[in-house]
Amino acid sequence: MADASFTASPSSVRFAVCVFSTPTIKHASVIFYAGGGSETEVTWEDQQNINKFGRLNNRFHELEDEIKVAKETNENLEDASNELILTDEDVVRFQIGEVFAHVPKEEVETRIEEMKEVTSKNLGKLEEEKESVLAQMAELKKILYGKFKDSINLEED
Amino acid sequence: MASSSSSSSPVVTERRGIPGAQFVEDVQTYLTQSGLDVNSALAFLQERLQQYKVVEMKLLAQQRDLQAKIPDIEKCLDVVATLQAKKGTGEALIADFEVSEGIYSRARIEDTDSICLWLGANVMLEYSCEEATTLLQKNLDNAKASLEVLVGDLQFLRDQVTITQVTIARVYNWDVHQRRLRQAAGDVKDS
Repeated sequence: MADASFTASPSSVRFAVCVFSTPTIKHASVIFYAGGGSETEVTWEDQQNINKFGRLNNRFHELEDEIKVAKETNENLEDASNELILTDEDVVRFQIGEVFAHVPKEEVETRIEEMKEVTSKNLGKLEEEKESVLAQMAELKKILYGKFKDSINLEED
Repeated sequence: MASSSSSSSPVVTERRGIPGAQFVEDVQTYLTQSGLDVNSALAFLQERLQQYKVVEMKLLAQQRDLQAKIPDIEKCLDVVATLQAKKGTGEALIADFEVSEGIYSRARIEDTDSICLWLGANVMLEYSCEEATTLLQKNLDNAKASLEVLVGDLQFLRDQVTITQVTIARVYNWDVHQRRLRQAAGDVKDS
């Protein structure tokens, strides 16, 4: 007997389950499809892997934002030191906290150099962490896709 | 929000007021243990999800506040350090500061031992340079520590959200599967 009843049952409904990162960042979703009653069981280990992937995804987006800010700061410092070379004043107003202190040009140069070093080191660290996060995510993707194949979607929107 | 006994899943039951999501080893057992039918279970899980979202919003707001506070404190520390450095030389520090938007004025800061810190709530206290540095440093350390704890809480919360969402999907799945089986059994019986 033809099972016409199958088409009526909600077996083709996909139930999207999303893990959103912070609202200010575009959401990255981990979608776990409840595709047609597939019987793959989810163990505690799988759950932990999914959780870990979600965390890494969030961290990845945070890192991208932080890297953007660090790069901007770097650029600003570059521009500042270029301007400094061009100016012929001896005293430069250098921002410390909320005020602009009158600081001799050489001292400003030194300070800017120090700040540039700090930001480049910071940027290097952030890039490194980003690489490591991406690598871990790739690992987890392999494992999770291996077990769940089509039932899970770990890609960005 | 009492969590029913779990089937030997290693879960942290709660963290700082956030209830832990119970991990479901087997949907059938979960449903019989809790005595709920599929729709009530789904409704319960959805409600839990909403509660988690509310807490997440709150924590995110707190995190944003802290993240704004930390650079502020660091800037203050900078200024205090500069004043301290100038102390030895005997020359005054000339600084341009903002009086109002777009309007700046010049200030001449003589060699001084005392620094006034704004503590909030319309209170400003005078400190010596060292005391000011110590206080600001302590505030900075506290803020950073709070931020760390907050980030940990957020991670825990997001994990619970993921677990709940996966559980919802699985319960739904299981239900669809059961309907299919019933349909198939019904067909076999009828034909």
